[in-house]
Amino acid sequence: MEFGNSGCLSEDGIHVDMDRLKKGEVNLGTSIMAVTFKDGVILGADSRTTTGAYIANRVTDKLTRVNDTIWCCRSGSAADTQAVADIVQYQLGLFAMMNGKPPTTQTAVSIFQDICYANKDRLSAGLIVAGWDERHGGQVYSIPLGGSLHKQSYAIGGSGSTYIYGFCDANWKEGMEEEDAVNFVKEALKEAIKWDGSSGGVIRMVVLTEKGADRHLYLPDTEYQVRHE
Amino acid sequence: MPGFDFSNYNRNAALHARGVPLPKATSTGTTIVGCIFEGGVVIAADTRATSGPIVADKNCEKLHYISPNIWCAGAGTAADTEFTTALISSQLELHSLSTGRKPRVVTCMTMLKQHLFRYQGHIGAYLVVAGVDPTGTHLFTVHAHGSTDKLPYVTMGSGSLAAMSVFETQWKPQLTQDEAVALCSEAIQSGIFNDLGSGSNVDVAIITDKKTTLKRNYIKPNERVPKLKSYIFKRGTTAVLNEKIIRKEDLGNFVSVHELAVEETGDKMEVDA
Amino acid sequence: MTSIGTGYDLANSIFSPDGRNFQVEYAVKAVENGGTSIGIRCKDGVVLAVEKVVTSKLLKQGANKRIATVDRHLGVVYSGMIPDGRHFIDRARDESRSWRDTFKTPIPTADLASRMGGYMQAYTLYQSVRPFGITAIVGGFDSELEAAVDGVVGSGPSVGAGGKAAGKKYGGPFLYMIEPSGLYWGYYGAATGKGRQAAKAELEKLDLGSGALSLLDAVKEAARIIYVAHDDNKDKEFELEMSWISGADGPTKGLHQEVPKALREEAERLAKKSLEDEDDDDEKKEDDKMQE
Repeated sequence: MEFGNSGCLSEDGIHVDMDRLKKGEVNLGTSIMAVTFKDGVILGADSRTTTGAYIANRVTDKLTRVNDTIWCCRSGSAADTQAVADIVQYQLGLFAMMNGKPPTTQTAVSIFQDICYANKDRLSAGLIVAGWDERHGGQVYSIPLGGSLHKQSYAIGGSGSTYIYGFCDANWKEGMEEEDAVNFVKEALKEAIKWDGSSGGVIRMVVLTEKGADRHLYLPDTEYQVRHE
Repeated sequence: MPGFDFSNYNRNAALHARGVPLPKATSTGTTIVGCIFEGGVVIAADTRATSGPIVADKNCEKLHYISPNIWCAGAGTAADTEFTTALISSQLELHSLSTGRKPRVVTCMTMLKQHLFRYQGHIGAYLVVAGVDPTGTHLFTVHAHGSTDKLPYVTMGSGSLAAMSVFETQWKPQLTQDEAVALCSEAIQSGIFNDLGSGSNVDVAIITDKKTTLKRNYIKPNERVPKLKSYIFKRGTTAVLNEKIIRKEDLGNFVSVHELAVEETGDKMEVDA
Repeated sequence: MTSIGTGYDLANSIFSPDGRNFQVEYAVKAVENGGTSIGIRCKDGVVLAVEKVVTSKLLKQGANKRIATVDRHLGVVYSGMIPDGRHFIDRARDESRSWRDTFKTPIPTADLASRMGGYMQAYTLYQSVRPFGITAIVGGFDSELEAAVDGVVGSGPSVGAGGKAAGKKYGGPFLYMIEPSGLYWGYYGAATGKGRQAAKAELEKLDLGSGALSLLDAVKEAARIIYVAHDDNKDKEFELEMSWISGADGPTKGLHQEVPKALREEAERLAKKSLEDEDDDDEKKEDDKMQE
């Protein structure tokens, strides 16, 4: 059969049924996360893209801009998540032009959710949307497979996230300083990459605050110690 | 009866149900690569087209024209890569004419991904998109389901693993044009020699902001050399045991011949009164 | 109007040579014959009020409401042709709903005014339609709190989000008036209909821009202004209809609601009293004159 029809967790309750992906489809077997902190929000992701056992891209950018200070982390099918993000980017651009002001994170997530829910039978997209706006500050929303919408103080996703639930629960703190929050994301993703075969490569981050978007890059060559770019 | 005839559909479905495999489309079991250098981009491809285990074409073209400054290397279903690139090339030229601007590589990539995404992978086109436009040099891969990647060097097709091994060991930042061409053809040859789906020759296209150079059969590592011996059978190799000549007028002795009267059927067409 | 009867007043979408659209001007005339409507924007809310002229003794008192709720936080009142107003309100409700469907959040008053202004304007462009015979007053209170996205699962984290811009205020009370031409402006006080001149004069006295007037006082002022505006039209009986919208911490909790009966009657009593006092003053002045 070419298409899987369950889209559910397998018997072990951990691994997502990969048959949901169409044959030969590019998959983001992924570790993604987003956290709120004192001044805004940080998104983080590994950089591995796979087709079956082959790594199609080892330096993927899974953190996608949909507006200046609203970004999303993509997991699941690369094609589906790129298509959804492209549509939302277009809609938010239009919104900003028509209203003469940037859209709020709330506007962004409602458009994301509309698409993910209306097409839930056709999409395999697990998204974490995070953004900063001056009214609401930093916000993190998770939109898992079925298209539901969850507001969270931090969110983790992708196949690698199963390995870091404990780590995140034990180490996350409310209202961290930027440096601590960056370290928290980095340490969590390091663990996810270590234990999850489908995650790997570099660690990418985006810090969204009043000052805009700030990109971070950490390479495995330096044990993810040094910030590049 | 006018319209489409679907009777073969039922026949095919019945045959398929009894275990007859459906005919396969010609697939370019392929090696295609691309690599950015200082001042431009190179793409390259092998020239073998296969149909299952059969080599369907020993010297096909897998580098497709999009616009003078944008070219595509295609892997996957041959017909799909051919028609998809032709379609987007056409749309992009009209777009360029209406905007009065040179076509951009991102525009091409976006049109390709949106087209392929709409067909949910049923259009089996796997493409390397490369070009130079007023915004700079660009290199993308587009997968059949509509996902895209942006990288300094890329490989696709069945020989992509072999080709990638070449890039991963020899690529370095800030290549010169000659180095990039050499690296890409090396990668394609790695596909030709190590991947069963790839073979024959190396095609290369070099795109810079000045001009595009297509080097068809840049390397021919599989040329057929003249046979050392002649294998033509000499006249008289087969012995003639007997001989009989039948003339046309005697043909009636061996088969029955009926002369058919030419019949007038229907009215003659009236051209004018 | 010197150019009336020259044919330029027969259809929309035809300008007169001096650049006027007579159909729109006639629509304004229709509004000027309607019962007076007013809106007051004060520091903690918005009040809408309308003078409902009693056209028949057979109509039930207090029935046939003229102020409509368009969304939870939005009210509309209008003067002019009532069926046109009904259609306007239908459309406003559709716009509010579609905004909620798209953005999962209530439509800001300014955006509704913009959309309805555009809608009215479209009816001045085509041969096949006539302009709306109404001027509408739109009042609303945009939430000052952080509204959750509709459809979010659960209540979200109890903790606040970090990085908010400090000291900035959002939302608040808003008031717009939309005319038959599609023209709309934001107002502190708006009046339209037969008694608009008198009502505007009274509104200007209130110094609404300073933000000193409270919502409760505004209700009383609104009642008084409708009574003042009706004064020139004394021979006809009327009913007063009033609605108000406060913030989440006010009496209507951010909703557009009819002013409670007790408060309305109190406001009407004060309005009548104020009119009587004024009449007494006038008589006194006249007495003075006689003496001289």
